[in-house]
Amino acid sequence: MSERRFGRTFGSLESIFGFVAEFLEANGLPASAAYELDLVIEELFTNMVKYHPQGAPEIEIGLTRLGPDVVAVLRDFDVEPFDPTRAPQVDTARPLGERPTGGLGLHLVRRIARDLRYDYRDRSSTITVALRLEP
Amino acid sequence: MFEIRPGDEGGLRLVGRLDASEAEGAMDVLLKVDHPLVADCSELDYISSAGLGVIMETYKRLHARGFGLRLVNVSPHIRNIFRYVGLDRVIEIDQASPPHPNP
Repeated sequence: MSERRFGRTFGSLESIFGFVAEFLEANGLPASAAYELDLVIEELFTNMVKYHPQGAPEIEIGLTRLGPDVVAVLRDFDVEPFDPTRAPQVDTARPLGERPTGGLGLHLVRRIARDLRYDYRDRSSTITVALRLEP
Repeated sequence: MFEIRPGDEGGLRLVGRLDASEAEGAMDVLLKVDHPLVADCSELDYISSAGLGVIMETYKRLHARGFGLRLVNVSPHIRNIFRYVGLDRVIEIDQASPPHPNP
């Protein structure tokens, strides 16, 4: 697994996208796979930044290939639990005026990911998300 | 990297990647718009939920003032993101034209 740690700030996104691009190239995967992978990682990473400002200064991201899937693992240290698999669903059929702006990120993650898992132990959150690459 | 540049006939061009690190700056620019808006997305490469939030808030603000927001030349993968959250049923989105066939 390719692993790297990134500062707990939105400003890390550019470096994260670079890390994803490096991973795809090193594994002979098409650059077109980056869009959904970038999106899912951004949504999970920025949730960690927003909701756990007191956590450890860096968040770890790992990427690996598992058969037809790419699996991303995000590890957030010294934080309270936050399980994205239990976050409330967004009702996308509701009129826009009645919808809150938030919550769309995890909705997108669940829409795009093939599998999403959460584990919490020793004050660390681990989110594992699998994406099936288009052939 | 994301920029909002002047477009044709008073419209704007959204250029680059509208992610969480760029959303606040994008909102600052769009808050100054006080007229019906056509936003050309032909150079918009990426949008996340933070960017969708900027577009949603802009749509709501303009709509409340009786103005429309139309996104034009939207690539299929960007349109898919709007579709996943149901915004394609609310905001007018024109897809990018397919490339011209070779003569």
